[in-house]
Amino acid sequence: MFYHNFSYNLKIITKNRALLFWTFAFPLILGTLFFMAFKDIEKNEKLDKIRIAIIETDSWQKDFFLKEAWQSLSDVNQKDSVFHITYETEQTAKQLLKENQIEAYILYENEPEIFIKENGVESTIIKYTVEEISIQYQMNQQIIMSQIKNQESNLELSKIIEETERKIKEFEHQNQANIMDNSSKNMSYTMIEYYSLIAMTCLYGGIIAMVSMNQILANMSQKGKRISISSTKKSTLILINIASSFLLETIGLLLLFAYTILFLKIDYGPKFFYIIVLSFFGIIGGLSLGIFVSSVCKTNENTKTGIILSLSMFGSFLSGMMGITMKYIVDKNIPLLNQINPINMITDGLYALYYYEDMTRYYQNLISIILFSLILISISITMLRRQTYDSI
Amino acid sequence: MQNIIEVKHLTKKYKEQKAVDDLSLEVEEGTILGLLGPNGSGKTTTINCILSLLNYQKGTIKILGQQMTPKSYDLKKEIGVVFQEVAVFDELNVYDNIDFFCGLYIKEKNKRKQYVEEAIRFVGLENYQKYLPKKLSGGLLRRLNIACGIVHKPKIIFFDEPTVAVDPQSRNNILDGIKKLKDQGATIIYTTHYMEEVEILCDQIIILDQGKILASGTSDELKTYAKIEEKISVEIYEFANNLLEQIKKLKNVESVEYQNHLLKVLYKKGKNNLMELINFLKQEKVSYHKIFSERPTLNDVFLELTGKELRD
Repeated sequence: MFYHNFSYNLKIITKNRALLFWTFAFPLILGTLFFMAFKDIEKNEKLDKIRIAIIETDSWQKDFFLKEAWQSLSDVNQKDSVFHITYETEQTAKQLLKENQIEAYILYENEPEIFIKENGVESTIIKYTVEEISIQYQMNQQIIMSQIKNQESNLELSKIIEETERKIKEFEHQNQANIMDNSSKNMSYTMIEYYSLIAMTCLYGGIIAMVSMNQILANMSQKGKRISISSTKKSTLILINIASSFLLETIGLLLLFAYTILFLKIDYGPKFFYIIVLSFFGIIGGLSLGIFVSSVCKTNENTKTGIILSLSMFGSFLSGMMGITMKYIVDKNIPLLNQINPINMITDGLYALYYYEDMTRYYQNLISIILFSLILISISITMLRRQTYDSI
Repeated sequence: MQNIIEVKHLTKKYKEQKAVDDLSLEVEEGTILGLLGPNGSGKTTTINCILSLLNYQKGTIKILGQQMTPKSYDLKKEIGVVFQEVAVFDELNVYDNIDFFCGLYIKEKNKRKQYVEEAIRFVGLENYQKYLPKKLSGGLLRRLNIACGIVHKPKIIFFDEPTVAVDPQSRNNILDGIKKLKDQGATIIYTTHYMEEVEILCDQIIILDQGKILASGTSDELKTYAKIEEKISVEIYEFANNLLEQIKKLKNVESVEYQNHLLKVLYKKGKNNLMELINFLKQEKVSYHKIFSERPTLNDVFLELTGKELRD
């Protein structure tokens, strides 16, 4: 019975042209348009060196660790590095910032302070790097000191300094990747658009789940009434619908990956496995959204399709599909909006994979999309468990 | 014969509005029960409650002696429903639609194939098996709708106004099909607002209005509710209205009226009324054309009980 209904469900969905367009064709078309629109921009917009100045304060001068850390990030030492660093007085740095000679300057007093002219990709990278150095600075200071104490409690002062320098070098070597432009091989300013596209495709898959679920709900369609009075259990019907929707959504997404990789030559980088994992949960997120809209909204199928399309489009817009600036604006001014935006959870997770070696942000987004799915599915199940209705 | 369906004191409210009001009914095995009433009288709501699609405030519903609940999957196997609106998949052809709905009840592949083919033959869609629903005419679509509802050979079949907006030929086909199902042993509950259909089909009739049962019984039993026993209509082109009073004084006459060249005379009892009326018209030298004599209809019963026409 499962296979019989499952195969018919696939047949019904795959013969629905509107559904096929939105879930399969539209992302491919959009991907092609992105490719055509951005391929030239890509060449011109290879991320330039970020020019920063560090103010030579007393704290800075005395801090061996900070100096070593920043020097190792400078393009003087590493050609691949994203930073071009100069060391200035505060007055000169201010002037340079005013004249757009630098993107930011950093002042180390008690706490590091970053002075920027405007928000953007560069300022985010600088902010991240400063935070990363500070965190690791504190962590390693503690580790180093405790290790030294444990090893030899009676070391001479000169030996302590020597040992500290050695540990710092060791630390830098190990952690260089964290604060280097480790993604330079695949660095693409427009990748965020493709990430949004992947996220949007995941959410668009929700239309399949919604249409499929509508067909078995007595209060949503005549077919639903007929199916509801059949001797097949409702839980079996729901399971069949979820399984067939998931299969089709997965095919839709794999099709997008295949098309962008094989025809548009998009390089998703070395962490493709993680991209697939996040996309997989993104599909579940889309599926949850579709089931949620289907079970909660008492309106016709076209309106429900409109709701899912609008949510997906708007979510994509907020997460940077039409321009990365929007993502920064929302992240800065209304962070909650992007925190609850499923498209942003996927986009930001992929973005984090791409730009940072550290996986924390990726896993945070992964957990967010899982939570998003669980919440929607829990509400939907409560609604779907109803076997009778007040009115149909 | 045993009762297949027993409904007792069913009450269903939509907010404060009672859609079904303390309704009780019983349906005997192998019979056709007609639920007759105007739109909004509670026919479909009653069926949806019996099918456990709608929740209700009061009452008990038993099918085949068991309490009907949404999880009565064994009972549901024995039930088929043909809704007023066509409920088929536009994406599937005729065969696949019937096979899909059959698959919700029948697991075995060979048995399912046999049932589907029998259903197709039953509704006469042999030549349209590969057609998509949008390629079918309205009548053929209704037949497909019926096939999807009866393909699993249910013991109990609900027909909810299956002939609404159907051409006369298709309507006759549908009614013939329902008679055949009854002959094959099915118990049928048939809702309509067409009194002629229940008169042709139903063994028992329930007249509903505003969620309440107004009367129930066989067609003949119900007609005893009507005050009149015979209705004679005479086509007359030239008629003097002063004759109306004289006709009213004739034996058994309940009422008389003349409108649009048609003289209508209603009689309380019915013996030799037609002869007496013809004699009177001859005597008064009134030339007449066609004459009809009718027994009272269920519409007259409904009119008697509610003061309004069935189709009002």
